[in-house]
Amino acid sequence: MNSNSNLPSTGPKPHMNPYLAGVLLGLVLLASFLILGVGLGASAGIARVGAFAQSCIMPQHVADSAYFGAWGKDPLRYYLVFMFVGTLLGGLVSAIMGRRVQPQLERGPTASRGRRIVMALAGGVLAGFASRVASGCTSGQALTGGAMLVTGSLLFLGAMFAGGYAVAWFVRRQWQ
Amino acid sequence: MITTFFGQDGLGSSAALVLSLLLGFGFGFALEQAGFGSSRRLAGIFYFRDMTVLRVMFTAMVTAMLGLQLALALGVLSAEQIYFLPTIYGAQIVGGLLFGVGFVMSSWCPGTAAVGLASGRLDALIFLGGAALGSILFNEFYGIVGPLATWGDSGVKFMWAALGVSGPVFALLFSAVAVAAFWGSEWIEKKVAGAGPYLGSPFLKAFSVTILVGALAVALLPPATPSTTATAPAALSEIGMLQAMEAGDDHIDPDALADRLMAGDASLLLVDIRTPAEFAAAHIRGAVNVAAADLPEFLEPRKNKGTVVLYSNWMTHPAQARDALARMGFANTYLLTDGLEGFMQQVLKPVSLRSTPLAEVQAVKVNAWRTFFLGGPQTHAAKTMNAPSDTPRLVETSWLQENLGRMVLRMIDLRLQPAYNGGHIPGSVRMDPEHFRGAVGGVSSMLLPADLIALHLGLLGITPQTTVVLVPTDKLQDATLVGMALERIGHMRYAILNGGWEQWAAEKRPADTLLPAITATEYPMATGADAFTVDYQEVLAHSQNRSAVLLDVRPGDFFSGKKSDEARAGHIPGAVNRSFILDVSTNNAVFRFKPLSELAEAYAKLIPSKDSPVVVSCRTGHQASQTYFVLRHLLGYRRVSWYDGGWAEWASRPELPVETGGG
Repeated sequence: MNSNSNLPSTGPKPHMNPYLAGVLLGLVLLASFLILGVGLGASAGIARVGAFAQSCIMPQHVADSAYFGAWGKDPLRYYLVFMFVGTLLGGLVSAIMGRRVQPQLERGPTASRGRRIVMALAGGVLAGFASRVASGCTSGQALTGGAMLVTGSLLFLGAMFAGGYAVAWFVRRQWQ
Repeated sequence: MITTFFGQDGLGSSAALVLSLLLGFGFGFALEQAGFGSSRRLAGIFYFRDMTVLRVMFTAMVTAMLGLQLALALGVLSAEQIYFLPTIYGAQIVGGLLFGVGFVMSSWCPGTAAVGLASGRLDALIFLGGAALGSILFNEFYGIVGPLATWGDSGVKFMWAALGVSGPVFALLFSAVAVAAFWGSEWIEKKVAGAGPYLGSPFLKAFSVTILVGALAVALLPPATPSTTATAPAALSEIGMLQAMEAGDDHIDPDALADRLMAGDASLLLVDIRTPAEFAAAHIRGAVNVAAADLPEFLEPRKNKGTVVLYSNWMTHPAQARDALARMGFANTYLLTDGLEGFMQQVLKPVSLRSTPLAEVQAVKVNAWRTFFLGGPQTHAAKTMNAPSDTPRLVETSWLQENLGRMVLRMIDLRLQPAYNGGHIPGSVRMDPEHFRGAVGGVSSMLLPADLIALHLGLLGITPQTTVVLVPTDKLQDATLVGMALERIGHMRYAILNGGWEQWAAEKRPADTLLPAITATEYPMATGADAFTVDYQEVLAHSQNRSAVLLDVRPGDFFSGKKSDEARAGHIPGAVNRSFILDVSTNNAVFRFKPLSELAEAYAKLIPSKDSPVVVSCRTGHQASQTYFVLRHLLGYRRVSWYDGGWAEWASRPELPVETGGG
């Protein structure tokens, strides 16, 4: 199960049973449906932080731009930005409770730091871009739209795994 | 009955933001508990060594899915309280593929990277920076990739409807597939990595049974109100429509409408689907004017939210529009019983003229209605029209689309006739900017006198209340020249569409090939509005006294005298040069004014203060009109004049001095 679970009490605690963690996640999503009337999301929060950062450097350019411009003067006053901050905090509390806060660059035992950094960055750019194309990511499209049984979101879920499995073999080195 | 923040249009409220933070907290907590603070673990699914992602994700989907279907079936939640994501085939398939590649490369996705960062993972921080950068790139290349994001937009579509089953039945099938996937994932993990900790365990058996029994129970539950579960967000059945018609459920009576409008009911949207001319003549206070063909797009944000009431003079057109909308899944549109005519009879007809006497209570009510709908400061057109100061001088395509039908708008399309005929912004008229110029007093290409301009505008059906939006193509100076014509007769209710037709078309905004219905009017001309045009004698005085900045906006070679199309080469003595072209940016054939900050900086170097007198000129006044617009309206210089005659006139008068060089 988890190789760290037998360490002394100072080591990280084991993770939750994944099925029960899934039920917990599903209940949070259901609560979001019933309270907010919308699902969970993460990529929009990141995009808005990006828009905000860019507007600190070139305010007029961002205000004039076709996509970010529509978010107005204060792109951070948006429910998904608040949700993203909440996600960070919730993750932090859970990680502290589980003694799992470990500063590190996660990679395979023989993979170089440089390889992992390039992969994380390039993958991030691609995922950030793609989530704007599809108006959502694993949370906002696959999970939320999937639970709503929306056709397009279920297609997104399928396409996401198809894209991932198609390329997995080529990028395996970082985990070896 | 649950009312969500979305349902009451309150997602922007402070309460919703705080609750979003709390829900996000739960989201992050659950993700971290599942072990998603580790990219190695997330990557596992792609190599079949750790299938945690599949288990967590499918369990969460099944949990929320069954909960949602249950809430809908029990009638505690109605479908219009939920924002259902639209299906956009191209965007979701292409975006999904690209996203999957990014996911496997980085082994993060946005939500998990947040908890990864919280767990101290440096690669999560790098991913988040990359994702923000990817979003910025999307924005920067929006002109090219934007259409992809709407490619194959098909509105709200449910998988269950495509398969011809109900939502709960599909959820049961999905649950069965999920349970099979759990067992399969345990098995494959055991084969590949020797793990598969729950394979055949009592826990997984019990868990599988719980899910299947729960899903079966939801599927067997009789729906509380059939319309909320099976049909509400999808199209109404024809039978349902006929039943609604028979029961009169698709109507709203004039007095009920009047009461709701008077009460300021924000959930009510009243739409007048008659022609803009009829709308301009008279309409019910609070109504917006939208052409029937534009209704689906205009009402999309209001789909199944609040109440939408359609009306025209009578009932046929709104009834047809309502039925078409109902087939597209709009379950919240209603007709006004007996149309505008019925409203006049039942609500607005004075008590004294009614054939049957009214009870006193009813008479008081009618008088209150009459005061509200007829009297007061807001008579017919006033409510929907913005004051001139509310209209920005330079508008974006999004502003225009939002205001189509909401204001008394008239677009003047400045492209060539064939281009206009091939498709234009709905409600546009086409005009050549040269129609406003002619030989005046022997000087060619002068802006026509005010009375001739007023005559032209009257023929276009423009009144002083019309907001004119000028739609340029590759020459922004065409729009600013027409702007000068409008200003000459004191018509300040005008705006220029930044990016013009090209941007509108690139963003796939609505267009048609119809001629708008126009009733020619007589434009009541204001005299003395033009205080900005100066003649050569004034310019000569400024040149001799150095009493104004003489700004020549022709390209540098013409300013210096290297090139010449006129009687003499060079420029007015003392003039400075900044080509009008420098104020415009081009991107993929879209011409836009440069960002204000850039323009402000450039002109601050040439003109000492916002109160300094400036005279702009070019060859014929055309290009200079653009610089006039930039200085006067975008940058707020207060004393800008326009020398319409320009170099064409100056060079032809041999007594006027000429300077060459510089530039």
